[in-house]
Parts: sequence; C-alpha cells; structure tokens
Amino acid sequence: MLHVAESGATTPAASWFSGARLWRLANAGGLLILIIALIAGIGIFIPSFLSPFNLFALTRNLAVDIIIGFSMMTVLGLGHMNLAVGAIGACAAMVTGFALERVGLPIPLAIIVALLTGMVLGAINGILIVRTGLHSFVITLATASLYFGLMFILTKAEAFRNLPVDFSGLAKGRIGSFSNFLFVALALAIGLVALFNYSQLGRQMLATGANSVAAGLSGVPVNRIVVITHALSGLLAAIAGVLVTARLASALPSIGEDWLLPSFLAPLLGGTLLAGGYVSVVGAVLGAILLSVLQNGLILMNVSGFWIQFFLGLALLAAVGIDRWRSVTAERRGMVSR
Amino acid sequence: MKQSLGDRILNIEWLPLLVLAFVGILVLSMISSNFLSSYNLFVILRILSVTSLVALSQMVVIAIGQMNLAVGAIGGLVAILFGALLELYHVSIPLAFLAGLAVGIACGALSGWLIAWTKISGFIITLAMLSVFTGLNYGITKSIPFYNMPQALKAWYDSYVGPVPLILFIPLIAMVAVAVILHHTRAGRQMLAMGGNPAAAELAGISLMRTTIMAHTLSGALAAIAGMVAVARLGTAEPTIGSDWLLASFAAPVIGGAILTGGHVSVIGTMIAVLIVVLLENGLILAGTNPFYIPFFLGALILLTVLFNHWRNSARSSPLLRRGGH
Amino acid sequence: MTPLLEVRGATKAFPGVKALDGVNLTLRAGEIHALVGENGAGKSSLIKLLTGVLRQDEGEIRLNGEPVKFNSPHESLAAGIAVVHQERNLIPRYSIAENMFLDRLPVRNGLVQHAQMRREAQPWLDLLDLHINPGTPVRYLSVAQMQLVEIGRALSLDSKILLLDEPTASISEHEVERLLTILRRLRDQGKAILFVSHKLEELTQLCDRITVLRDGKNACDDRPLKGMTKADIVTLMVGRESAVTDLGERTAKLGEIRLALRDLATGAGHKGINLDVRAGEVVGLYGLVGAGRSELAKSIIGAYPVLSGRIEMEGRPARIRAPLDALRDWHIGYVSEDRKGEGLILTQSVARNTAITVWHRIAKRLGFLWGGIEKAAILPFVERLNVKTPSLDQAVGNLSGGNQQKVSVAKWLAADARILIIDEPTVGVDVRTKGYLHRLIWKLAEDGAAILLISSELSEMVQLADRIYVMNDYRIITEMPNSRQYDEMSDRLMTAIHRDNDARTQSAAAE
Repeated sequence: MLHVAESGATTPAASWFSGARLWRLANAGGLLILIIALIAGIGIFIPSFLSPFNLFALTRNLAVDIIIGFSMMTVLGLGHMNLAVGAIGACAAMVTGFALERVGLPIPLAIIVALLTGMVLGAINGILIVRTGLHSFVITLATASLYFGLMFILTKAEAFRNLPVDFSGLAKGRIGSFSNFLFVALALAIGLVALFNYSQLGRQMLATGANSVAAGLSGVPVNRIVVITHALSGLLAAIAGVLVTARLASALPSIGEDWLLPSFLAPLLGGTLLAGGYVSVVGAVLGAILLSVLQNGLILMNVSGFWIQFFLGLALLAAVGIDRWRSVTAERRGMVSR
Repeated sequence: MKQSLGDRILNIEWLPLLVLAFVGILVLSMISSNFLSSYNLFVILRILSVTSLVALSQMVVIAIGQMNLAVGAIGGLVAILFGALLELYHVSIPLAFLAGLAVGIACGALSGWLIAWTKISGFIITLAMLSVFTGLNYGITKSIPFYNMPQALKAWYDSYVGPVPLILFIPLIAMVAVAVILHHTRAGRQMLAMGGNPAAAELAGISLMRTTIMAHTLSGALAAIAGMVAVARLGTAEPTIGSDWLLASFAAPVIGGAILTGGHVSVIGTMIAVLIVVLLENGLILAGTNPFYIPFFLGALILLTVLFNHWRNSARSSPLLRRGGH
Repeated sequence: MTPLLEVRGATKAFPGVKALDGVNLTLRAGEIHALVGENGAGKSSLIKLLTGVLRQDEGEIRLNGEPVKFNSPHESLAAGIAVVHQERNLIPRYSIAENMFLDRLPVRNGLVQHAQMRREAQPWLDLLDLHINPGTPVRYLSVAQMQLVEIGRALSLDSKILLLDEPTASISEHEVERLLTILRRLRDQGKAILFVSHKLEELTQLCDRITVLRDGKNACDDRPLKGMTKADIVTLMVGRESAVTDLGERTAKLGEIRLALRDLATGAGHKGINLDVRAGEVVGLYGLVGAGRSELAKSIIGAYPVLSGRIEMEGRPARIRAPLDALRDWHIGYVSEDRKGEGLILTQSVARNTAITVWHRIAKRLGFLWGGIEKAAILPFVERLNVKTPSLDQAVGNLSGGNQQKVSVAKWLAADARILIIDEPTVGVDVRTKGYLHRLIWKLAEDGAAILLISSELSEMVQLADRIYVMNDYRIITEMPNSRQYDEMSDRLMTAIHRDNDARTQSAAAE
C-alpha cells in the first residue's frame, strides 16, 4: 500500500519563494543597495564622478576586475582555488604581444592563440590536481610561479610595446559613456549565468563542488569536470590579460601581478562560498562594482590612494561579517539552515 | 612494529630534503668559487634569517589547518612602525623591538579572534586583514621609507659572536622555540591536535576558539620579528617589506612536508626547505642567470618536492588504507 | 539511593526530524545499564547530550540529583563522565599515550611530559591486552586497536560514570571477553556504566537494567534485564508496526541472471567473489561492519578497480571503469549507506539531487538544461515515492532522514536502474518510512529490477531477501536461501561468520 502524496508536487510560487532563493536575492539586494547609495553619494558630492570620461575609465577597469573575479569564481564553485589567475593572465598578455608584434598574426588570430594558451595552462592545473589528489592551493601556488617564470624566460622579461593601433584601439571603443570592455564582461556574465543555471556542465560543476564523492557515485565524471573548470578559469584569466594588454597598448610581464586580491574579493563579496557548491555570478559582478566604485570614489575624494587598500579590507570584513551575522540570526529564528 | 635503526633513519621525513640541500651546496661550491666565500655565505645567512621567520610564521597557522595570508602585511606594518619609533621618536632599540612585537601579537590575535568569533574561514579573514594592514602601512607612510635607522641597529646586525655572525642565531632560536612550543607545550600540542582532527580535539576538551587565537598570535609575533629583522638587514624601514613573502611563506612549509589541512608540520623540514630555496636563488645568481628566471625554478622546485612527498607518503600509507595484503 | 546520572524528558529536534522526544534514562552506581534501539532511534543523540556535544531543547540532566548543563565536551568531562564514542575520535599522528591523555596533558615547567604519559598509559594497554608501544602513532593501528585505545582512554579517566557507545563494534571475540570482564569489575567497584550495543548476546550477559529507544522515544524506561529474552528486546526495539509478518508473502518471479560476478578480485581487497542476481530477485549480502560489503558494491559500479575475474551483465562481460559507465552503459544504481557523505548533495535541491543521474539524458542541444526540464523529468518519481518536501527546490539537507532516503532511491529510479544495489536502506529512517521502503524494495523487484541488498540489520535482511550471501573479510563465505524465519536465519548466519572467524584465527596461529 502506498501513502497518498501530500505535498510531493509543487507550485511555481512555492519554488520561487523558497528560503534559499529568497536568501540569495536578499544577499545580492543588500549589495545592490549599498552600491546605489555609494554611487548616489559620490555622484552628489563629486560631480566629476559621473562625467563621461570618468565613467569610461571606471567601466574599463571594472570590466577587467569582473572577469578576474569570474576566473576565480569558477574554481571556487568546485571548492578549489586558482592562485595562478594572475600568472595565466600575464602569459596570455605576453602571447598576444608576441603573436602581434613578432609573428605578425592578424588580431583575431592572435587573441585566439592567447585564449587557447590560457585554457591550456588552466587545464594543466586541473590535470595536476586530479592526478596528484593534492590541494588546489598548493598546485596553483607552484604553477603560478612556474608560469610566471616560464614567461619571463621565454620573453626575457621584455615588454612588447609596438602593437598594432587597431589592437589598442579595441580599448578605446565605447557605447554611451561606458567602455565596450564592460559589455564583454556582461556578455561573459550572461554566459556564466547560463552555464551555472541552464546547463548540464554547470550543474555538474556545482555538484562536484558541493560533494565530489556523491557526485562521482551518481555518475558525474568528476575528474573531467575539474579539468574543464580549471580550463575555463584559465580562459577567463586569459581574456582579462588580453583586455589589459589592449588597454595598456603594450604587453608587459608585470600584468597580473596584483590580481590575487581582486580575484578573491569580487566573488567573496558577492556571496560565493569558499567551500564550493555555490557561486553567484551576479554577486561577483556587484562585488567588483562595489570595489571599483569605492576605489574610484576615494581617489576622486582626494583620499590618498594609499588608504584605498585599507578600506577594501574593511569592506570585505564588513561584507562577510554582515553575511555571517544575518545567517546566525536567521538560524536563531529557525528560518534557514545553510 | 619494531623498526631497525636503518629503517628509522630512512623514515625521517626531512632526510631527502637534507640530501638535496647537501647536493645543492656541493654543486654550488663546485660550479662557483665564490659560493663558499665568507661574503656569499653571509649573504645567504641574511636572507635565511628573514625567510625562516616568515616560513615559521605561516607554518604555525598551517599546523591548525588554516592559512595566514596576512603574514607579509603584519611584517610590513610592524617594520614601518619599528622604523618610525626609531627615527621619529628616538626610542631605544630594545623598547622599539618590544613595541613592534606587541603590535605583531595584537595583529595576529585580532585575526585569530575574528576567525574564532565569526567562524568565517581563516582564509577570508586573513585576506581582509592583509588588505587592512597593508592599507594602514601605506596610509601611514605614504609609501615613503624611514631611512635614518640608528647605527646601532646596523652594527648589531653585522656583529659576530666569536667567529659566528649574530644573525645566525635568529633562525636557530626561532626554530628551537617553535619546535619546543609545538612538541613540548600544552598549547602547541593542542594546536596540532586541532589540525589533526578538530572534532576529536574538541571532544578532548580543547577549545578550538582559544587554539585558533593562540596560533594566529604566535604567527603574528613571528611575522613581526621577521619584519624588524628585515629592517635591520636593509638598513631602512621600507613599506614594501613583506609584500613578496606570500610565496615563500607557503613554499617552505609545504616543501618541508606540512599538510595544508593541518595536523602535521615539520620544523626542521621547513628550515631545510628555506635553505634550499635560498640556495636555489643564490645559485642561479652566482651562475649568472637572469634573476627573472628564479620564479620558474622555484615553482618547479615546489611542484617536484610536493609530488615527491605525496608519492612517499602514499607509498608508506597506513595499513588501514592498504587492504588485502593477507 | 539517588541515581548518579539521570535524564528526564529530554527533547532534541533537528531540521525535519525529532531525534529525541521526552526521553528518560537512569544510571545508578554499581550497575551496568543497557541502551538499545535501532539505527536512528536516538541513542547517539542521547549520548551527545550527556557529553555536551549537543544541548537538549527541553528536559533536564541531573548529576547526583542536581540539575546540570553541559555547554561543551569539556564541562561534561570535568563533571566526571568518560565516554567512548561510536565514531573514532583520535588524532592520527599523535601517539597512543598522547591520545589517551590529550584532555589532561601532564606538564612540568611548562613542558609536556611525553615519557610520563607513555609510562602512565602502559597499565591501561596491558589491562586491555594491547601489546603495542604507547609511543606508536595511532595512524599505524588497525581499527580494532584504535577502538581499544579509546576504551583505554575512557578507563584511564577513572571517572564515576562511563558511557560506551558500541564499544565492541569492531573488536574480536577475545577482546570483547576481556572488555566485559573489566566492565564487571568496574561495576563492582561502584561505577555507573552505560553500554550501547547491537549485540543482544553481550547485553544479556553483561547488563543489569535496560532502556530501549524507538523513534526518539522510550520504548522502555529503566527495566530490569533479568527475565527478559532477546525476543522481548527485539520486540521493544522494532515495535509492532514493522514486525516480521507485516510485509506479507512474496513469491519471487525470477528472470534471467542479470548481474554475475565471476572470481572477482578488486582493488578494495576482495578475492574470489562469485555472486548472481536475477531479474526480479532480492539478493541479500550480509556481514558484520567492515566485512567489505559496501566496498564490493562500489567495485561493481567502478569506484574500485577490478583486478581479476569479471563482471557480467545479462551474460555479457561488462567493462566498468567508473560509476559513469555503470550508470550509462549498464543501468546499475547504488544507494549508499552514507547519505550525507556519498549519497546526496545536502546543500542542493531535491530536483538536482534526483536529476543528477539523468542530466546527460535530459539535456538539450549544447548541454542546455534548466529547472523546468529537470523537474518534469523527475516529478513522477518523486511523487511515486511520496517524497514529502515543501518544494522541489528545497535543499535535501532540510528533509527528514526518511525523505532523504526516498530521494536517494528516486534518483536511481529516474535513471531507470535495472540493477539496484541498496546499502543499508533504512539507517536513520523513522519506522513508518522504513516499512514503506521495505515494501518499495519488493515492489521494485516485482517490476523486474534485480536488487542487491546490503544490511547489517538481521531482521531487515531476513524479512526482505530471497537469498543471502554472507561476506566476511572481503570473501563470500557461504550462500543460503532465506527461510524468512528470524531465529533460524540469525542462528545460521552468525554461526557461519563465527566459524569463518575461528578458522581464520586458527590458520593465523598456525603460521
């Protein structure tokens, strides 16, 4: 005898307002409100903030920060880290420079070669992690050094400065007041939202991140997923590297050196979990916006640039602290248990 | 269960590293006549004195299964405060040292307390603290170093005890102190117990909160000393001190056999690893290679030794994991 | 005389399940008290209250008649309660001695006295017949040795109250005998001992009084054990609802041999495994904890490598290198015993957990896949199994144990599993759902699936299986038809295992 189903079926409304989703919306919402308040505040007190020139510069840098954040976010979804984001970005930048200046490849081809390089370097990280079973932190710590070093050796640490004008021109395009880089970043965001919410691959990535043993026993090809995810992370880092090269109109070996902090800050501010199994694409975008606006605003307010990092640190502490405080109070009220 | 003496020696974890270090020294002294010159040895020692403290600072946090990304930031902040006290306020060196140590301890304790209290991952908290401390450092100094360090500091740094340079004692004392703390004090045993199995440690009445704070405090103290030794070494209090410590701080403990998830670190292994890293850099420079090549070889070294440790551990894994032998 | 330790009306709820509901327990000095109940009845939760790991929502704990509150394991320890937990709680790289004294490391002049610890540990190891240097790191010990170290640690505390949660689960006959003797002596010295075990034989030999838990409630509270038979205890544990007769008759309609293992040796350590499962058949794989049953299941689905011999599916040799192959090529499903660790992804939704096995099948072109398709694909199975959840988007971790288990089964039904390996189907599941799952297993077999059932619960095995293989030490030692008579089958199964153990001990001694 089977029991009669009581509440097996669901209504769309019930699913939309389920605790977890509401929680995530509130999280992103809080960040959004913070950003709007910040933009409004800065905009009122410093009109030059909203000038086309400033907006263009701001969004051009923002786009790179968003993509760097995405690069880290994808591996965070696995519960992994990728300390080689900057190194891969640098390698991609130098490959671009080499392909354009020395080989003389057409621009699209040069970019493709650079992106492939990034993918391969990321995939190597993934393969090493899968094969050795070692912590991704250790592996990517070593490969970061290895990739940087290899690039230094091959290029003799010399920059490529004579890039075609058409290539550096890519960084000058704008739509309205916004740099067209921003639209590259937003397109990638849409792609990632589609990946994580509307594809088999994204589901497999998050399942692997949340519980790789269970995922493996349920038929998810866990090792392949790890390699693909790291390759994707490498690809995104390479895109950021190419964009920076265009912006600087030269390929410098120092590109990527200071990416480590922003790469973690954007996704973590946005609510992506270090433990894996959950990523927030929109959150990472908002996190990057918060960082860029804060940075830009502080500079415009003539706060010495030296203090900016201090405020970024406080922002991260505040964001995770508030998140923690909310989940504790929510648990006390018995709302959600994460 | 009985092991022969030979087996026991072969099982010493850091033995392969020691062999590697000796081979390194041998090779270097053969390819370069300068290597064994007293000047070059002194250079090696100077680098060793700072790097070993940095590595130990990271290692004690790895022991409890966490990471401290703020090691360099604490070192840098303490370095410039130390410099400011000496240059602007003419505080005596010992007093300035104690003040710097206190600041390092406070910074570490703050990180530890935040982790314990918020229960947020140590990685995120120390990432934020890295930013906060670095920001403070640059905000205070506007990136300008304190140049006028007292002569006495430099003199102290260059002095000898008999034929032995004074700074040789810094890594030695730090090594012995950390080893004693980790292996022979209650606090140290509780730290490694927490890293080895937090649930079991808690059931044995160990407070994970207190242990977390202790480990980060100790780490802060070591980072602070590293920062001040760096000031003595450079002769100026540079705000950039500590900005490039991250790689070395993890590389040495990991090469030395530490397990990143906690519960096992090797003090001697870490120290030998520091020596190997320093020898590698020194050797490449003596061989006349471009200093830019160093990261590649460092990365390769980390990867290879980690793979070797991994292979060695899995080859001798506990009989529990290797069934079917009977 | 006031009892040493009392629990009155303790209630503890977790999301979706009430682990304890008004439970009473009484421990007196000079008595050994048995605590029994099926898996998930609340024994471990009760022990966790007493050791300060969990705090009760309602009710109170009294020590010598005084109400006490334990906010941490430390406080319980300080109050004189020593415990051997069911799970191993040791620091792998620490020595036996240091693990024993971790809560009270001897310190002189600020330094931990390692030599003193080793000296003080020695008598306890001798007492337990554990002849290993106390300086040996515990990670080199066998599971049985680790368990003895934990028992030694609890004894060395010399406390008035001793709680032992399944202390005999993984130690040998001889070691059990030794332990029971020691416990009797401690009782005579006036200690209060709580003894949790599945092995009723031991309980009836050892204990004075008994408390039985069922579904988080007292099925019996502090009764004298004298005069109670094993059957009485089983009745109390199982309750009327799922007594053996409840399932009714089953006539198996057997089809072709669907899964066959031929002289299989695996990377997990199995040797010479031969086993058949026919379509429509429920085949039991019985054995004690650690016999290698789950590992065999995982070898079949490719999680452990096959070293020699072969796996045949419907007469054809099957090459299964990973669970992916088992799922896609051969439709083999594995419901793990460890729902949290291996079975489900607790933080993800019911929909994703159920659909994980069919993602590759339901995905559209270029791998596109969204919630709607997923839900449409799995809804029939979620409804068929009557999973009670507020929505398909609910995180599985928020469901009760029974509903979680239904989700673990549903995902394999969705995957159209032709062979279903079900490992401990009713661990941590309430009695109603348990009966339901039992009927479901039969129903699935009737519908033509081949079922390999792994269970440590004898009554479940005897109730459900058509045929039983007995596994011991990674080998199949015998195979027998199931008469569905509990007493007869339990006798035959246990005799088979004991005889095999004795034979192994003798051959080991002969070497």
